[in-house]
Amino acid sequence: MVSSPEKSKSEVGRRNFLKTAVVAGAATTLPDEVSAADSPTQAIKSDAQTKRGLAAPSTEQMNMEASTPDQLAEASSEQLASSNSADTASSFGSDFMIDVMKSLDLDYVFSNPGSSFLGLHESITVYGGNSKPEFITCMHEESAAAMANGYYKAALKPAAIMCHGTVGLQHAAMNIYNAWCDRVPLIAILGNTIDAADRMGGTTWRHSAQDPAAMVRDFTKWDDQPASLQAFAESMVRGWKISTTPPMEPIALTVDSTLQEMKVDDRDGLAIPKFTPSEPPQGERGAVRETAGLLVDAESPVIIADRLARTPEGMSLLVELAELLNAPVIDIASRQNMPTKHYLNQTRQSGRLISQADLILGLEVTDFWGQINSVNRAEMTSEPRVKEGVKLITISVNDLYMKSNYQDFQRYAPVDISISGDAEATLPVLIEEVKEAMSRSRRRTLSQKEKMFRKMHADSFEESRQLAASGWNSSPVSTARMCMELYEQIKTEDWALVSVGASERFVSSWPHRLWDIDEHYRYLGIGAGGGVGYGLPAAVGAALANKELGRFSVNIQCDGDFMYANGALWTAAHHRIPLLTVMHNNRAYAQETMLVQGTANRRKRGVDKAPIGTVIQDPNIDYAKLAEGMGVWSAGPIEDPEDLRPALIDAVKVVKSGYPALVDVVTQMR
Amino acid sequence: MKITDLANTLTFLCLFGAKFAVAQDISIERGEQTYMRVGCYECHGTDGKGNEAGPPLTPDTLPPEAIANFVRFSPGRMPVYPEEILSDAEIADIVAYLESVKPSPDADSIDILRALVSEEN
Repeated sequence: MVSSPEKSKSEVGRRNFLKTAVVAGAATTLPDEVSAADSPTQAIKSDAQTKRGLAAPSTEQMNMEASTPDQLAEASSEQLASSNSADTASSFGSDFMIDVMKSLDLDYVFSNPGSSFLGLHESITVYGGNSKPEFITCMHEESAAAMANGYYKAALKPAAIMCHGTVGLQHAAMNIYNAWCDRVPLIAILGNTIDAADRMGGTTWRHSAQDPAAMVRDFTKWDDQPASLQAFAESMVRGWKISTTPPMEPIALTVDSTLQEMKVDDRDGLAIPKFTPSEPPQGERGAVRETAGLLVDAESPVIIADRLARTPEGMSLLVELAELLNAPVIDIASRQNMPTKHYLNQTRQSGRLISQADLILGLEVTDFWGQINSVNRAEMTSEPRVKEGVKLITISVNDLYMKSNYQDFQRYAPVDISISGDAEATLPVLIEEVKEAMSRSRRRTLSQKEKMFRKMHADSFEESRQLAASGWNSSPVSTARMCMELYEQIKTEDWALVSVGASERFVSSWPHRLWDIDEHYRYLGIGAGGGVGYGLPAAVGAALANKELGRFSVNIQCDGDFMYANGALWTAAHHRIPLLTVMHNNRAYAQETMLVQGTANRRKRGVDKAPIGTVIQDPNIDYAKLAEGMGVWSAGPIEDPEDLRPALIDAVKVVKSGYPALVDVVTQMR
Repeated sequence: MKITDLANTLTFLCLFGAKFAVAQDISIERGEQTYMRVGCYECHGTDGKGNEAGPPLTPDTLPPEAIANFVRFSPGRMPVYPEEILSDAEIADIVAYLESVKPSPDADSIDILRALVSEEN
């Protein structure tokens, strides 16, 4: 079936291969319709000195794009012939691997090239035609993992990353951890050379490991290192299935370089197993019925939702349940669970409602303890914020899968009913049981709450609207002004706020306070592990998905986060990914500035030194210039709020023409 | 402000109000410098207009006595500022600075925020 690779394969030098890959990649990743006439500089003309245009593609680039498939094939053949002519006629193990990926309808592989997965790289671009999957060039493996993370949350479809099982995975680990904490499926393909006799000295040894996936085993759901192509097929399909079954998590698959290079003499002898998605686990009916009865009888129930809405259906179901009960919803919004303008979205009143509740239902809440207790981090104290006798009920997959080492599972929360099951999959049954348990008179009684909640919602909205005016003309620009000027320019588009970095609170939660977030895809949550370097690349990955879905992607980008992974901007420029990035440039790691200062105050040792190590000044970073250097249209730095609107108008035009744009706004801390 | 905080403030005013009543050499410029140096701007904005991390301190700035009480005994997220690191005189300067800040426009006078009303209804 398969024959051992010839040792002469090592003669296929990396340099020669890369030349081939570059030629093939350029032809297939740059859109055909791109021409000098529709470059960003043409798309938008502006005389403002702060605006910088992207140069049109060079003649060389255009010539490369203009190459015919035959010309490219010839170039590829020449490269291969110069290394080993016998290989061109064969099918390789990595070709079969691509067949397996195609069977799963994998759209993208986010990767930075590396020698331990040369075979796969070449098979993607040449054998697979660089389509399903397409190779997305990343400038850091951490960015690749974040892009796959963001891509999933927009497309609701997993993507893969590909990296060295050693040095590449060390880079990628942090955003794999973010995906783990965020319950995002992600397929990590790790290059490795298992057989020491196949390692050709030097780097090939440093890039090999006995057990590469060990490094991420604490925050992946499953991993494998298949020893044959048939085993690869089964492991890839199994891994895909495991990763996409709630609780969804990343998986890792180590792919041997020798296996990639194996010649396949009998392709028909290899079978690709059929993928059948697992139905998500549903809560036990009896416990769901009991919950429904308690909900109907409760006088002041509160629903808390965190990662409930895996899909748009989750939002529809939550609205239906909340309206049946006229129960307020606190949306923690790791996914967008509840429309912001719905009168039962009472997130801004969470403290008051939770403290008065006689029943609290937590739906996929990772930190339920944190919701029912208040903590004082400085004093290291906590106290319950619920009243005595409150019924506590949780529906989640939290208990179905967790690991020991990393402590993202949060503090243990004692509850009255704990239902293990996917909340979105369980809601239809719960709704059915609530309808069953609800008498007509009870329904009438509960409906009388609507007026009160409508007023509470309106009052909360008005309070936020008034607060947004505070500091409207300030310089640095207030986060309210920045967010609302941005919203004004995008609200008529089919927009999606694809990232706000590690926390929306960094911009005082203005989008959730005042934007009409009425669809599941309009908000994708945060970098759940709190690892910095998520925001920009996750936004690029999500924008790639949204490009195909016709959505206008917006990223509110914190400056500290930006500097971890700014190469992602180049990826956006190179792959023509339309994305509007607005810099929340407060020139600091503001959260840490506050925390260090709080500590210094508590110790009565002054505050003068709090900025040391926490501010990003002297020199100030020119993000617009950085963006320009990577081929991205940009404007700024904007310090006068009056300059913001015209810059955003121009930037929206650029993005609507299919390109990324960045507007650097010098902002208040929060 | 919680009732307990208010009670603390009133007690403080009774006990220590006289200290602030003494005429001082108050400086708006020095107040701004101190406001920035001790990090008030981090949560309340460079001109005291506030955000989610800290409420607006202007307009309607509290008197120095009340602010002193709050920062000395803050029970919540607000970092405590003992007198060793922020004196009463410095607080008086800060209050002078905050009182000098130009008021923000009303929400209804801002086109973007005014439009939200019709969208909400």
